Amino acid sequence: MAHGWQRRLFLLALLLLLFFAVVYSLGLGAVSLNRREIFYILLERLTGSVPPDVAISATSRDIILNIRLPRVLQAALVGASLAVAGATLQGLFRNPLADPYIIGVSSGAALGATVAIVSGLALGFGGFGAVPLLAFAGGLLSIGLVYQLSRQGNSVPIMTLLLAGIAVSAFLSALVSLLIFFSGERMHQVVFWMMGGLGGARWGYLRVMLPYVLLGCGTIYFFYRELNALLLGEDTAHTLGIDPERLKKIFLVAASLLVSAAVSTSGIIGFVGLVVPHIVRLLAGPEHRFLLPASALTGAIMLIGADTLARTVIAPAELPVGIITALLGAPFFLYLLRQRKKIRYF
Amino acid sequence: MDLTVAYGAYAALEGVTFALEKGSRVALIGPNGAGKSSLLRTISRLLKPKQGVLYLDGRDLQKVPLGEISRSIAVVPQDTAIDFDFSVEEVVAMGRYPHLQRFQQEGRKDREIIAAAMQLTGIAHLASRSAVNLSGGERQRVVIARALAQEPEVLLLDEPTANLDLNYQVEFLELAHTLNREKNVTIIAAIHDLNLAAQFFDTFILLNEGKILALGRPEEVLTPQNIRTAYGMEAVVQRNPLHGKLQLTVMKGNGSSTGEGRAPAGITVHVIGGGEEAVPLLDALLQAGFRPSIGPLTQEDSGHRFAGYHNLKVITLPPFSPVTDVYHTRHLELIREADVVLVPPVPFGPGNLRNLEAVEETLCPDRLVALLEETPVAARDYCEGKAQLLYARLQEKGAKVFTEIKELLAFLGRLQERGGKAK
Repeated sequence: MAHGWQRRLFLLALLLLLFFAVVYSLGLGAVSLNRREIFYILLERLTGSVPPDVAISATSRDIILNIRLPRVLQAALVGASLAVAGATLQGLFRNPLADPYIIGVSSGAALGATVAIVSGLALGFGGFGAVPLLAFAGGLLSIGLVYQLSRQGNSVPIMTLLLAGIAVSAFLSALVSLLIFFSGERMHQVVFWMMGGLGGARWGYLRVMLPYVLLGCGTIYFFYRELNALLLGEDTAHTLGIDPERLKKIFLVAASLLVSAAVSTSGIIGFVGLVVPHIVRLLAGPEHRFLLPASALTGAIMLIGADTLARTVIAPAELPVGIITALLGAPFFLYLLRQRKKIRYF
Repeated sequence: MDLTVAYGAYAALEGVTFALEKGSRVALIGPNGAGKSSLLRTISRLLKPKQGVLYLDGRDLQKVPLGEISRSIAVVPQDTAIDFDFSVEEVVAMGRYPHLQRFQQEGRKDREIIAAAMQLTGIAHLASRSAVNLSGGERQRVVIARALAQEPEVLLLDEPTANLDLNYQVEFLELAHTLNREKNVTIIAAIHDLNLAAQFFDTFILLNEGKILALGRPEEVLTPQNIRTAYGMEAVVQRNPLHGKLQLTVMKGNGSSTGEGRAPAGITVHVIGGGEEAVPLLDALLQAGFRPSIGPLTQEDSGHRFAGYHNLKVITLPPFSPVTDVYHTRHLELIREADVVLVPPVPFGPGNLRNLEAVEETLCPDRLVALLEETPVAARDYCEGKAQLLYARLQEKGAKVFTEIKELLAFLGRLQERGGKAK
């Protein structure tokens, strides 16, 4: 189709940008490492050997491989997940203001996490603490609740789904506030979790997250045409041979998996899921075959960038990354909206 | 293809049964809430019948996979809003979705079909424009192009002309007609405008309160009785003189003239002759509150139809007949009842010259004769100057000449004020 090559070029550029973002952010941090050393550490990790004249310090290797690399990769996965989930839900709700948390996943996850933190629950499963486990369960349970509440016979009207999501979110948020109110000295911990951060990143999280992210993104991409058709309305989608009710379930489950996986490992990181799909759509239109991968890449790049800022601006301390995404994302978003007419390139 | 709908207690439609031939052009008509959209939505499977079965090529439609249905039935919905910033071409390309395997890209054939659909609907030049910023008519054509790209055997149209300008309404229905003729696409359209429907469709289904009131050729369905039952109003059904299709004219109110209800004019007016040329004068007279009688006319005459519609006194001639003595005598009697005789700018030939002679025969001081000469009589004299001669004589004997209807009406108005009588 028209503009095909431009879009492919855009994706390629994003891919390159992602690569540079990863490499660049690996070099930044409280301890500064030179790029040569990073390159050899990665080479050693990948191929098992480095040229004999290169010496790698054990500290550097530990910082890169056990701290920064998992953190950067987790930022990429979480960013991509949130962006893809955002794009999907915006399409499903035919509303560009929908964000990944709109159907109650975030407040459900927050309740789960808060329960875990406040109760000091010593639960563990497969290398996970109680907080991510309960957050994941809470997220999925809340979307299940929202879906059941808005179901009318065999169909789920989008507007009801949206309203049920808002109501359930408000209710769960109130419960979270109640728990925080009685939480005493753990309050700080809960609030910090809710602002979102990648400080807890580790390889274990990545390994568990990856299948969900691949499954969620893969499923959604598998149905990109259906998502396009749904943007024209459910009746139109139906006449193009698509069963909207079935697709709604599929997209809701897939998006919830993505968001729950992201939230349980990294807390509630705002704005990425709302802004990224919107930016990509403003630049290159709503065709999901392109929008979904472009959003994933842009989300990954954006969160890597935000997280790098979060851990460097007041190093050695760090800011919650959610503050950065909102501080930078909101003005940029407004700028794009105001420029809207001029910036649709292809 | 045989379509049979037979379904029971559905709220909007009840016990509807019919079969359609492949390649027919079907107009679903009926008042609001009659079930037109419900029927369309059932055919496209957006609604499920509570009872009964709908067959497509002899197969139960409910059991045909949705994907397969979308390859044979395309829909142009009533609401064509597009909120997202797709390009026109992208929207049209979605019509190919039912034909593509998952992850299969549009091939050359698909692109040709998409281009042809845009060409046919006249939106090729809009291909890369955003579908959000189109006018209602343009957007409608985009949606139609998408339906065409589906290459359907059946095209369902829900009020397709509702948002279109007059020229696009006709253009669109012509397009549907072309598809029907060249590709044997069955067209089923819910449509409000009965006259447009009569012009473009060969089968009519008249729905009323969820039931079929009439089904068949336009002549069988568009009858005054059916219109009265469904719409609760009186209508006259005629052949349009230009395209020969049926045409419906709604009777005003209870079927009588506009002038009724106003104080009856104090003077009686008689108009000589009919034809297209007399109608504007007759209409103006009615508007002003007069109820003119009209001279001998054949049934096919526009003036005669006008008289019938407005319930005016008229002398009816047998078809293609000249004014014979019998009718001439009756005409003289009718003229003598009038205070004013008006001669509209009608053409005069051997067939109706006698009506003009009647004016001369009945001349008397109490009766005013007015000649309306919007076009000079010389230009409409088809009896070798005899009409011109008669005009001259009438003028000589006191007939007044007016060049505009307005002027004539003003004069009649003054006459009325002076007490009704001519002198």
